Amino acid sequence: MTDSTSTRSRHRHAALLASACLLAASAAQAQNTPTQPAATPAPVVDKSIPKIPAGPWQGPRLPDGQPDVSGFWGPAFGSYLNLTDPEGISSGERQRNLPPREQRAPSRVSDPADGQVPYQPWARAKVQEYQTYYANPIKPEYVDPLARCAPPGIPQALYMHGHEIYQYPGYVVFLFDQGTRIIHLDNKPHLADNIKLWNGDSRGRWEGNTLVVSISNYNGKSKFGRSGEFVSENVKIEERYTFDPNGKRYNYEARITDPTVLTRPFTVTVPIRKYTEADKPRPVVYAVREAKHAGKDVIIEYAEERACIEFNSGHAHLPSGAAK
Amino acid sequence: MTDAPIPARPPRGIRLLAAGLMLLAGQLAFAHDAIPRLPNGKPDFSGIWQTLTPADDDLEPHAARKDAAPGAGVVEGKFIPYLPQALAQKKKNFEARETADPRSKGWTLGVPRGIYYPEPFQIFQRPRDLKLVFQFGHTVRTIHTNQTEHPDVIGDLLSGDSRGRWDGDTLVVDARNFTDQTWLDRAGNFHSNDLHVVERWTYLDANTVEYKATLEDPQVYSRPWTLGVILHRHREKDFQLIEDYRFTLDFDQYYPPKRDKN
Repeated sequence: MTDSTSTRSRHRHAALLASACLLAASAAQAQNTPTQPAATPAPVVDKSIPKIPAGPWQGPRLPDGQPDVSGFWGPAFGSYLNLTDPEGISSGERQRNLPPREQRAPSRVSDPADGQVPYQPWARAKVQEYQTYYANPIKPEYVDPLARCAPPGIPQALYMHGHEIYQYPGYVVFLFDQGTRIIHLDNKPHLADNIKLWNGDSRGRWEGNTLVVSISNYNGKSKFGRSGEFVSENVKIEERYTFDPNGKRYNYEARITDPTVLTRPFTVTVPIRKYTEADKPRPVVYAVREAKHAGKDVIIEYAEERACIEFNSGHAHLPSGAAK
Repeated sequence: MTDAPIPARPPRGIRLLAAGLMLLAGQLAFAHDAIPRLPNGKPDFSGIWQTLTPADDDLEPHAARKDAAPGAGVVEGKFIPYLPQALAQKKKNFEARETADPRSKGWTLGVPRGIYYPEPFQIFQRPRDLKLVFQFGHTVRTIHTNQTEHPDVIGDLLSGDSRGRWDGDTLVVDARNFTDQTWLDRAGNFHSNDLHVVERWTYLDANTVEYKATLEDPQVYSRPWTLGVILHRHREKDFQLIEDYRFTLDFDQYYPPKRDKN
């Protein structure tokens, strides 16, 4: 029983490790050949944040009038390992050579301009403490909630792995590996304040090409990345998902307000790209397979199970038995 | 025969029968038209559903217990046809149910238990698939309805791999590739990873669905058997799922970091 789950858990984390190694390898390559014109250029990953102006939606619509943005999406670069330096060293990782900061992907914090979370001193100290003990979690609070199978939460889910957007009249549903967010478009009142949730309680509306979502009831328990940034249960989050009418990109912006831990609000921006049948499946980011069927057209379907499949397997990033 | 007079009107009995048939036909037509449908004409099971039966306490007939409401049972033929060894295992499960039930740890309920577990689940449906989001554990099960088949190579899944087809207005789902880590109820009824489930989903009216599941598992049951429950649509004003990540309750007090008091 445990074997099958831990195998699958290992599979998922091995894939993650592989992509991290890939990232490290390409970073190392960039370091070794900083000035020479590359003879065989490495695959170019666009790390810019494209300009997608908010405006009317020109693309296809669903029968209920919503812009049709259904499909598989994922972060255009980087992962959840480090919020403010997505290609930098993350908690618990060994030091390694990195290209200069300006050659690495920008901080996911787009405001303030310095790319840092505007923490109150006590909260910044807590983040540093978490980073220090990440690899050796001598207290339960240093264990990443992800390693306990909790959902990645907001906004981490948007840049952790890939996700699928599923639409139904009155709803936009974000399907992550763990954690599902049901965005209600009918403006029903939020749940009572005392109900706190890992995925919050979301109300959304379409403004042209932008899905605007306000989140309340968020429990603040997820981290913003392996780097350990956090907010409190008093946080309010306003999200803007601005879709390019060409269907290939959207920009995710979360405006995060929390007087309990912050000195001022800040914004997380994540450029997201669409994955289609033209893309090769990629572990974690685009975990799909070709469906078996009698027809000739290619049908892509999600290949994982959207559940906590890692229970019983200990804490995935730690030697088994650590941090019970 | 040819000389027999043709009656001016049918006898009264026939007239009543005809009237009854017309009424029935009218009701059938009404029922047919009244259920929600996708633009492609197929029944649309989207909505938030829950059963009223105590099936999750125990699928089989049972009197009240300290941990269970009484129930007449939802199994056709009353009892699950266990193989002798499996019946012994079921009894062990029953004795240990308070701690051994995967539900008590907040783990994924699986199939068919998620359907009759006493918490709501929400279906989102489009022509190619149905997504079932379960409040308990907040897990998602997909039922594919795009003429695709079970993959040739696939691991064991808590909720299996589900492929649906339409038999008239009934959605017939073939689900397999299960783990052995889920139970069928709180009474320790169980299955192995050889479980194969065939579900039939049929609207009775716009707010009521008849759900039947036939379970086959040669490691555990002597023959296939069927359970049935009725699902009701939640229609309370502003009703919504509220995520139930019960398995996080043992550690959620450690997050988020709190300001030290001094």
